[in-house]
Amino acid sequence: MPPPPRQRATPEAVRASGVRKHFGRVVALRDVDVVLRAGEVHALLGENGAGKTTLVRILAGLEQRDAGTLTFAGEQVGDLDARAARRRGVALVQQHFTLVPTLTASENLVLARPRGHFLPTGRVAGQRLAALVERFGLAVRDGVPVAQLSVGEQQRLEILRALDADARVLLLDEPTAVLTGDEAAGLLAVCRRLADEGRAVVIITHRLGEVIDGCDRVTVLRDGEVVLADEPVAAHSVTTLADAMIGRHVPPVASTARVPTLPADAPVRLAVQGLSRGRLRDVSFTVRAGEVLGVAGVDGNGQAELEEVLAGLAAPDAGTATLDGAPLPHGAPRERIARGIAYIPSDRYRTALVRPMSLADNVELGRGRRWRPRRRVRRDAIADRLAAWQVRAAGPGAPVRSLSGGNAQKLVLARELAEEPQLVVTCHPTRGLDPGAAATVAERLLDAAARGAAVVWMGAELEEVLAVSHRVIVLSHGRLTGTFSPPFDRQAIGRAMGGAS
Amino acid sequence: MSAVATAIEPVEPFDAEPLDAGASGGAVVRRAVVVAGVPVVAVAAALAVGALLIAREGANPLAVYGEVLRGVFVAPRGLRNTAIGATPLVLMGLGLAIAYRARLFTIGAEGQFVLGAVVATAVATAGGVRDLPGWLLVPACIVIAAATGLVWSSISALLANRFNTSIVISSLLLTYVATAAMQWMIRVPIKDPASFVPASRVIGNAALPTVPGLHVHLGFLIAVALVPVAWLLMSRTRFGFRVDVVGHNPIALRANELPAGRMVVAVLALVGLLSGVAGYVQVAGVTDRINAEFSVDLGYTAIIVALLGRLHPLGVLLAGLGLAGLGIGFDVAERTHQLPSTLVGVIQAMIIIFVVVGDAVVVRLRARQERG
Repeated sequence: MPPPPRQRATPEAVRASGVRKHFGRVVALRDVDVVLRAGEVHALLGENGAGKTTLVRILAGLEQRDAGTLTFAGEQVGDLDARAARRRGVALVQQHFTLVPTLTASENLVLARPRGHFLPTGRVAGQRLAALVERFGLAVRDGVPVAQLSVGEQQRLEILRALDADARVLLLDEPTAVLTGDEAAGLLAVCRRLADEGRAVVIITHRLGEVIDGCDRVTVLRDGEVVLADEPVAAHSVTTLADAMIGRHVPPVASTARVPTLPADAPVRLAVQGLSRGRLRDVSFTVRAGEVLGVAGVDGNGQAELEEVLAGLAAPDAGTATLDGAPLPHGAPRERIARGIAYIPSDRYRTALVRPMSLADNVELGRGRRWRPRRRVRRDAIADRLAAWQVRAAGPGAPVRSLSGGNAQKLVLARELAEEPQLVVTCHPTRGLDPGAAATVAERLLDAAARGAAVVWMGAELEEVLAVSHRVIVLSHGRLTGTFSPPFDRQAIGRAMGGAS
Repeated sequence: MSAVATAIEPVEPFDAEPLDAGASGGAVVRRAVVVAGVPVVAVAAALAVGALLIAREGANPLAVYGEVLRGVFVAPRGLRNTAIGATPLVLMGLGLAIAYRARLFTIGAEGQFVLGAVVATAVATAGGVRDLPGWLLVPACIVIAAATGLVWSSISALLANRFNTSIVISSLLLTYVATAAMQWMIRVPIKDPASFVPASRVIGNAALPTVPGLHVHLGFLIAVALVPVAWLLMSRTRFGFRVDVVGHNPIALRANELPAGRMVVAVLALVGLLSGVAGYVQVAGVTDRINAEFSVDLGYTAIIVALLGRLHPLGVLLAGLGLAGLGIGFDVAERTHQLPSTLVGVIQAMIIIFVVVGDAVVVRLRARQERG
């Protein structure tokens, strides 16, 4: 149940306006405004890479903003480093724990929040921890190495440690991602209590239900911009929040994509039956020759696991995935390539490309023969292909890191789709690309389908997925919660994303 | 020697892309500066610091360095000794250069060197074997030494793959084990009964023949012949390609070529193979037997050779000859000018420090440049 909207006027604890941040050429935040009030639990939502973590890291002084103003309790601050942020009562619990696993809880506490130049004795440290435990009612075992504590306990320790300096603003980056349902509910109750004591609490999460259940206000980021600013949660549902995260705006691909017609008698090529892996639970679907199957859903609901299994990077825990009747290979990339399985991964620089190496070398990746021709021959050999795939670069010898995102992705396509692919596994293929490049990439992928490949397209932007797919399946909490055919019912898809089957 | 470990692990002197990645003309020039410039400046800086130390000892640095050059190029057997001294450095340096391009920071060549020498010597001097002819014993010993080094080095790889242990640490510790094993071997199983001090039997028929006309042992030819082989391996084979890929992006390797762990095994096996051979070559070509002082940290000096040679086979050859020449020349210079014999060690250490610092500076400058 959503809590009743708070009536009393709450003082602003933090106000950020026009915050901008870029890393290299990537813009992480552009002109972001956010207001945090004492006494409220504020949810910060957004897809991976939307800029949530960057925002809280700026508030905690771990990153410096490029532009914008920060106001703490009415006072504007200039440069904010981690110490200054802590002095102003801001505490961040990062997504990945920052505990020393071999030390005990109290040792971790006094190490990270020293008083004076010397570490206290074990007894004093224990008392300090015990005082915190009592004050905030968060149980943490002391006296054993932190590595032996449960994940929930470790997190409570992180929070206690953050609260040690009597934080007025508590920022929690995906605190529930590692927790079970009960633990998460407990954590939300704690957040509520901390807020009731007059703190401003921010929770980053992907679980929309938690926002509805446990938060007062919500801000949604998309591609570094605020798309839903500081709205009362009571005015929203899981569906509207999912919509805001995924985006309703029409991406360029949606207007240009021409989905090839699918013959009624096209044979099934990819058959996935009862597939489980990590978060992914018992997922079954088929893809026919020439068909594009869109996979929709909020990131972190099993897409990564599905990608890994289909791309042969990991074996399923249970279930089968077959292409033309034969199981998909795993742990044998050359076999994947020989079977005609093209893989355009979600993180092209991590998985598909070797940035310091040349374009020619990158095209050779996974395809090279035992003996390589001379360098000049190797480079000349791919010049035509680069032209055909419109990869703009200084030349085949240029390092991949000199390419723009769109050209890097076209290079991946030039490699993966060069021979007739039988199955195309692609995740966020247009992420970070300018409209022109995105359109080209989508066109090439649809081309592969038109030539008879089965295409699995996992997308971040719902409209894009709908525009390129013959059929769409939705993943939520690792389960397949809906299969949709055109004309697509966006309401129903939104509900499926929220977890309703 | 753990200083070496810390010197190579944190900074990334190997960030220079593989030698075939250059693009525009400007980039080629810049790369040339990085590739050759850093080592040249490092050697110059080390010699400059060395000059201060020499002056502090009351000698004229220029005269000393002149004597070093004379010791190498003019003195009888200067060049010959340089070639012989460079042989194990080049053999091991070639393997290490490949490993470091794969970013596998093994520092265990020393142990593989010692163990290869001991096992080959033990076999070659065993009763019933020692009387076999050289043309049979030499190739057999090369194979045995290679296999010994390979096995020893592969332990690090298997530990890394299975338990995710640090290759730096395991290879270093395995060296202590190897050295201790050698010390035991020359005291007990392969001790020369005629010797008062711990020493192995004389290698006998398994000694390497001298190359006619060159006055150096066959090992030098082997080392030199392996330079173009290693070069081809790195530039013209899939293996060399994968070495570079695993060094830059093991995840991309796993997604497109093969699991990175197999490259770890293959590369470290290659290091061990070459280091083992180097050990045998040293006994069979230089020392004739193994005594307690057999190991003079050549396996560690080879690390400097690989770094100074910019992880390129040709560079390894040049750096190996250069460092060996430095040692030979200083031997002469120290004697004529009555300088402490540790000077050359100081200068060698300086070289590696300056190379590492120079690379770090270049990396930082480049990062700054890219940030704009």
